[in-house]
Amino acid sequence: MSALVRSELLKIRTIRSWWAYLIVIVVFTGLAVAAQIGSADGIDRGTVDFQSDLVETAGIALLLAIILGITIVTTEFRFGTVTPTFLATPSRQLVIGAKAIAGVVVAAGFALLSLVVVAAVALPWLTIVDAETHLADSEIWTRAAQQILSSVLWALMGVAIGAVVQSQVAALVGTLVWIFLGETLLIGIFGLVDVDGAAAYLPFQALDAADGSGGGDLLSYGPGVAVSLVWVALLGIVGAARTHRRDVT
Amino acid sequence: MIEVANLSKRFGKTQAVRDLSFSVEPGTVTGFLGPNGAGKSTTLRSVLGLVHPDAGGATVLGVPYRELDRPVHRVGAVLEASEVHPGRSGRNHLRVLAAAAGLPRSRVEEVLALVELSAAAKRRVKGYSLGMRQRLGLATALLGDPEVLVLDEPANGLDPAGVRWLRDLLRSLAAEDRTILVSSHVLAEVAQTVDRVVIIHRGTLVQQASIAEVLAGAQGATRVRSPEASRLRGLLTAAGATVTDVGKGTLAVDRAPEKIGEIAAANGIVLHELTIERATLEEVFLELTGGETTQ
Repeated sequence: MSALVRSELLKIRTIRSWWAYLIVIVVFTGLAVAAQIGSADGIDRGTVDFQSDLVETAGIALLLAIILGITIVTTEFRFGTVTPTFLATPSRQLVIGAKAIAGVVVAAGFALLSLVVVAAVALPWLTIVDAETHLADSEIWTRAAQQILSSVLWALMGVAIGAVVQSQVAALVGTLVWIFLGETLLIGIFGLVDVDGAAAYLPFQALDAADGSGGGDLLSYGPGVAVSLVWVALLGIVGAARTHRRDVT
Repeated sequence: MIEVANLSKRFGKTQAVRDLSFSVEPGTVTGFLGPNGAGKSTTLRSVLGLVHPDAGGATVLGVPYRELDRPVHRVGAVLEASEVHPGRSGRNHLRVLAAAAGLPRSRVEEVLALVELSAAAKRRVKGYSLGMRQRLGLATALLGDPEVLVLDEPANGLDPAGVRWLRDLLRSLAAEDRTILVSSHVLAEVAQTVDRVVIIHRGTLVQQASIAEVLAGAQGATRVRSPEASRLRGLLTAAGATVTDVGKGTLAVDRAPEKIGEIAAANGIVLHELTIERATLEEVFLELTGGETTQ
């Protein structure tokens, strides 16, 4: 299995889009942190609440994690590399499993990189403006850890979606439309038929709760993580079954 | 050693392969031939566990491919030269597969040198010619130094020098007692390489034989040239032969030269030429597959 994961990690690193992921994370996280600090009041800047919100700008990594998760599965079908992949490893579940593990590793790395950028921008800036920094505060560290776990969950969701849909364009576009339109629409419908409570169990509402920022009608943190994992498992099972049955032509 | 037994596969309305059985013996190069669309790729993909047959099945080295332990070390296969990520370099393509098979990096350099692709190894595959992609495919198949090789149309896109290079490579691999199955839709392309042929058409077996048997079984005509061609033609026709006038006093006759010579001698006809005309490989192939090849 470790050989397979190494192979999957090598696949990710040996195409140019790898650098695009890293550049997007660094640039967008940096801009988001700068905008947030720049627009805040002097007094707020020194609070734990403000600074843990800064940690949350590392959430840029989530979107890239799910795109990566979808792509590492669907790119094999798009370019036909799935043929040599399955010839080398006839057990297709093992291949999907190795991709999931590679996705977890890289997604955790994405979140870490994002957090490093947050620190690299925020710490000098806050020091210069004489705001007290709360690096030792447990809330900051909890939030950072939750960002990493959250990124991992989004990547796993991406791998599962990729295994179910298999067509790269359909999976990427479908997922983005679902996140930004589909769930909003469903939440509205749930409200109309008086089952508002069900909305929190939708996959991306659960994932939203699992980044620890809380709020609104979302589940609390623990249940949010649990429901996210259930969705990943359900889609993962369907995806593994579809991949197993598929004729690779 | 490869065994295909009663294999059938349908895609939608198309019956790609129908009750196909054949075997490939160890230590031979076997040509797997048929026109485009005959079901060659479907058969090979079924053999390699990529396609699920509707009925029947195949074994490689005695077991279904998907049950092979460390398959890269036992069976090398390349199905389409284009099954490479265009943005990845040739070397990295091989490194990815070597990593999955637990092979060292040095093996990647070995196969790159073997297929004479070392100089282009760091370029992205996007910029490769079809011939270079074919070489990369071969390198992929040879990574694990396997005892069985399955190659789908490996000569496609190679220039004449490349075809010759491929032939020499396959012969030297076969000399090391490997089993090689190589598909093609052009018989002449593999005729000098293969020991045996399996010919399929419309998903069913047409012939499984040695290349010599295929040629011997071909209907050859006899060519006869005579200043009295029209009189000879009448006599031969009267004797039950089918005669075609090919011009300039030359006839093509479906009888052995001995028979034609006897008739000519008995009637005092002078002959200027009497030769056996062998059917060419392509003619044999066209005859066996109903003349529906595309090239």
